[in-house]
Amino acid sequence: MPREYAIGRAAELSDGEHRVVRVAGRELGVFNVRGAFHALPNLCPHQRGPLCEGGVSGTIDYGPHTDYKLAWIWEGEVVTCPWHSLEFHIPTGRCIAFDDIRLRTYEVRVTDGELRVVI
Amino acid sequence: MTTHVAAGEQSAKRRETLAEMFVVDADVHVHEDPAQLAEYAAPPWDVALREIAKTPERYLDLPGMSPRAEYRVPFPGGSNRRQIVTSAAEMRGGLDELHVDQAVLFPDHLLSLAMVRDPAFATALASAYNRWLHERWCSEERSLKGALVVAPQNPDAGARDIRAYAGDRRFACVYLPASGLKTLYGHELYDPVYQAAAQAGLPVVIHSVETVYPAFPFQLEQFRTSLAVHALAHPLSMVANLVSMLETGVPVRHPELRIGFMEAGTAWIPFIANRLDKEYIERRREVPLLQERPSVTMRRFYYGTQPIEEPERRRDLISLFELFDGENCAMFASDWPHHDFDHPQHFLGLPFSPEARRKIMGLNAAAFFGLDVPS
Repeated sequence: MPREYAIGRAAELSDGEHRVVRVAGRELGVFNVRGAFHALPNLCPHQRGPLCEGGVSGTIDYGPHTDYKLAWIWEGEVVTCPWHSLEFHIPTGRCIAFDDIRLRTYEVRVTDGELRVVI
Repeated sequence: MTTHVAAGEQSAKRRETLAEMFVVDADVHVHEDPAQLAEYAAPPWDVALREIAKTPERYLDLPGMSPRAEYRVPFPGGSNRRQIVTSAAEMRGGLDELHVDQAVLFPDHLLSLAMVRDPAFATALASAYNRWLHERWCSEERSLKGALVVAPQNPDAGARDIRAYAGDRRFACVYLPASGLKTLYGHELYDPVYQAAAQAGLPVVIHSVETVYPAFPFQLEQFRTSLAVHALAHPLSMVANLVSMLETGVPVRHPELRIGFMEAGTAWIPFIANRLDKEYIERRREVPLLQERPSVTMRRFYYGTQPIEEPERRRDLISLFELFDGENCAMFASDWPHHDFDHPQHFLGLPFSPEARRKIMGLNAAAFFGLDVPS
């Protein structure tokens, strides 16, 4: 059964901020993207770098999602691994370079101002 | 059931851990502060270095000292990791986390030394760097050994520096900067460097860096991205210098000299070996100094592994190493703390035999650099 684990106050993680937390024997990165909270494993599948210690930005891309034009997209939704710069889309866990790689995403609930991650 | 394994032995099923293994890192990078180098530089170059120190620097890019042509279009994002190390203590701390026992120190900005246009400044810079590295970084206690840099603009001065430190175990090799090099390392003008290195018992290591510069093979201005320039600059530079050295018979003319190639990965090695062997069938008379197939001579060279190829099927990497006898001539290198460093833990997970793993992770480098192997 999934359980909720408290990981801090929502007010302490402002829009655009992220932080790494230890919870239930694992390390997760918790992100506030324009008021929506997301969590990803703090483990890059490439060489096991501390993914969520990386910076958050947008990225440049091209394809059906950009109407086949070069575009700066997903501002504030992309975390880049500090080790080798592999990029991941925070809300979906999708690896932007390798579409077949998806990180597990964790639901983050806000109850009475408290952030709770569902594991 | 508990299996007891005597110290130093490995059970057949359990893989040796990094902590247990003797790990030599053949290539890590120190960060040169021009203000510090000024303290070691002969006049008037100390004045120039203090002037350079006023300029804000970027990664491997410092006007006046590290002339790297950077044409990348900038966007926000990318790695936020600190990619410089500024003291020996910081280096040892980082290497402890990587489980590296011994490491060989190469520069940051002086990766571009061959592109410094004033030969007198390049020579002074090399000598100042060597003194600074020797005094502030090389340390038996921390198991950090230096790579003594030679300015290719002045091989005689390089030879003098090598002789000055001959017998000093704080240096493990001579570093030959390859980026933007105008005259490739097969040329006889480098013979004084090779003679001095061989006499001092120091190997020479060729190391390049990503750049766009009007010297073969760095005329990469047609390319638009770092993906292209970085993919090409390192291995093409190694190929060019290796072919140059074989063409003029450097390993034949300097039989005692140990020669290494750094930071171009490994896939280029079997490519150029096979290409040269094919040419040798038809054109041996052009290279009469070579007494054997080029690929056989190439097996006397050593090669750093970084950036190690990451094929989709990991066993392809084992096949790749078999093509150049990597078990006996490849040396693990991390390139710490640079952007594309290889973590030893990743290397440990590759499906090499335990014996090959021990050689590549440490014993080959110990043989090449003349390092003590703990019993």
